[in-house]
Amino acid sequence: MDSLVVDGLGKCYVLARETESKATRSFWQRLKSPLGADPAGVAREYWALKDVSFRVEPGTILGVIGPNGAGKTTLLKILARVITPTTGRVVGVGRVVSLLELGAGFDPDMPARENILMNAAIVGITRHEAQERIPEILEFAEVEQFVSSPLRHYSSGMYLRLAFSVAIHMNPQILLADEILAVGDSGFQERCLQKVTELGRRGLTVLFVSHDMDAILRICNRVMWLNRGELRKAGDPEEVVDEYQNAVWSEADIAPSERGRRSNRLAEILTVRLVSAAGRDIGGAPASEDVFIKIRFRTVRPNLLVKCALDLATRGTLIFRTSDAELRPLRDAGVYEALARIPRDLLAELTYVATVGCIFRKEDEPKEFPLLVYNALSFMVYATEQPDIPTSGRLDRVGVIAPRLEWTVREEVQVVRA
Amino acid sequence: MSALRRLFGLGAAVPASGEIAEAGYQKWVIEPVRVGLIARARELWRYRRILWFLAERRIKDRYEDTTLGIFWLFARPLMPIFISTIIFGRFLGVPSDGVPYFLFFLAGSSCWRIFERSVQWVTRSLDQNRGLIKKVYFPRLIAPISSVAPAVTEGGILLTLLVLASVFYYFHDGVFYLRIGLPIVAALVAVAMAMLLAISVGLWSSVLQVKHRDVQYSIRYFTQLWQYVTPVFFPLSSVPPKYHLAFFINPMTPIVEMYKWGLLGIGEFPGIELALGVGVMLLIFGTGIVYFNNSEAASVDRL
Repeated sequence: MDSLVVDGLGKCYVLARETESKATRSFWQRLKSPLGADPAGVAREYWALKDVSFRVEPGTILGVIGPNGAGKTTLLKILARVITPTTGRVVGVGRVVSLLELGAGFDPDMPARENILMNAAIVGITRHEAQERIPEILEFAEVEQFVSSPLRHYSSGMYLRLAFSVAIHMNPQILLADEILAVGDSGFQERCLQKVTELGRRGLTVLFVSHDMDAILRICNRVMWLNRGELRKAGDPEEVVDEYQNAVWSEADIAPSERGRRSNRLAEILTVRLVSAAGRDIGGAPASEDVFIKIRFRTVRPNLLVKCALDLATRGTLIFRTSDAELRPLRDAGVYEALARIPRDLLAELTYVATVGCIFRKEDEPKEFPLLVYNALSFMVYATEQPDIPTSGRLDRVGVIAPRLEWTVREEVQVVRA
Repeated sequence: MSALRRLFGLGAAVPASGEIAEAGYQKWVIEPVRVGLIARARELWRYRRILWFLAERRIKDRYEDTTLGIFWLFARPLMPIFISTIIFGRFLGVPSDGVPYFLFFLAGSSCWRIFERSVQWVTRSLDQNRGLIKKVYFPRLIAPISSVAPAVTEGGILLTLLVLASVFYYFHDGVFYLRIGLPIVAALVAVAMAMLLAISVGLWSSVLQVKHRDVQYSIRYFTQLWQYVTPVFFPLSSVPPKYHLAFFINPMTPIVEMYKWGLLGIGEFPGIELALGVGVMLLIFGTGIVYFNNSEAASVDRL
């Protein structure tokens, strides 16, 4: 008896072409189709997921890997019933609990208790039963002393611990976890992974989406690789991860974007990734550590010069644009990587989107060849420290960035005039 | 016929409720075509607990930033009623079926307010719950249903005012205008019907609101017009008979009439009119459910 049978699953989005978006449609056009989709010819289809089929046995920890835009999140959202598939069918057994995004299903204005009860209601657990589990949930999440403070005072690490703890205490038969475990201090991450492994042995089926190949290899007993909405390979973790990583090295994995330009006659941007100081791919950035944005590109001509730049945006607002201070020479044609260090304690606990650009030119010609990848990377910054309760909120760092400045406090030197 | 069967989920390809898989857990199916109405209704019942959470949240949203507190809650709805009492009751001499115009208007408008505000909240319900809707699953129908909560509290406030005002008139005129006894039930039924009608209208408007963001403003305009074909600040007895049809196609007319009859004992119990109104309401409700159900997936994609 399979825990999950997915058959020919597909999700199609109908996109309005940007130039003919709603705002610019004429009154007459709107009159002709006031309620329906955009008139034929204006709409464009985009398959986020295409004909994906697989089966999962109970107790399987299935890792789902693939580049951004591969359809991993779409798959999980369909299984969580948040979105409805366009084609295909899923048959599953038992309660599904999802950890799709940090804070999903939580109300920041309510305290932990109320949130636990609400989540219990969402998965269909009675109030009485939920109340009995509250102490256990709080204990695993290590947030007992903050039961009564609203979640908005929580750090993202605490948020995650609570979310994970709530999820596993809802007695799911199927757990859907999207990247979320990438966030959190290493100690808790360790405990999460252990817990997931343990529950897996007891028959819990887990779909675990991550960019962290170490974690995937450690806990998964099967791995599925999605690429541009299609199932590329599934099977033994070592094998699939190896092949995936080789492929990433040899080909571009950035989903084609409407705007921007990924390749020109001099070079091509292959990947844009967030990596730790150790060079490991990471899905989220710990606020207290340096992280790097790594742009991999391939040049097809020798003797080029390059200058890379980066836009960081959050909530739709550009925070800053920054570029390399100099033009770097690229002697031979080949694959290069550019690393931009984002210093620790600079970014706030938010999700950021990076747009990257590189300008190439030949050494002997002034003509520039720019490349640009819009929204090449999105990542979340999380803090693991607990908020300072005595001054809670009021003195925290707020805003779109949260740099820690160097402060000194000293007594004023009295200048005594004789 | 097969379309009809699908609509009502009679032969839908869902495992019958209670079909239990080998391991003892419930088996479920996800398909592009959502299951029929009967299965949805069952599901709605299973998820009923979320209703209270969402309702509570909406009420909090509504009253969180009321700094003047309890005084303001009562003062705010009272102001327009005082003004209307002076203009319609005093200046224009609008008849009020033998009760003080202030009470007459308070009664009519408390019922109307519940409806009008419900429609406004329900229209925005998908938008307002989008954080939850886009992240977790629950039957989407819970969003519009729970959104009548703030309107109910508002109606409750007006009703409290009505009771207080009646006590005042008792000492002033020596007559206690409120009815005590069984007819009160009719007033409660009227409130329930006003809410159901608001939800029915909202099933359409909330989906349209997701598609066209300006629906919430048009609906406000639309309900304002609607109020004029509902006997809120004038009695039905002052409407010339040739306009009665227009009034009774509007399901709010018998509802408001029944409410006033039950509460103040004025006017007549609307019999045939009520049946007609219920018919119109069920029509809006039924088509609304089907429309909401069919647009659900697209609405979530669009949110």
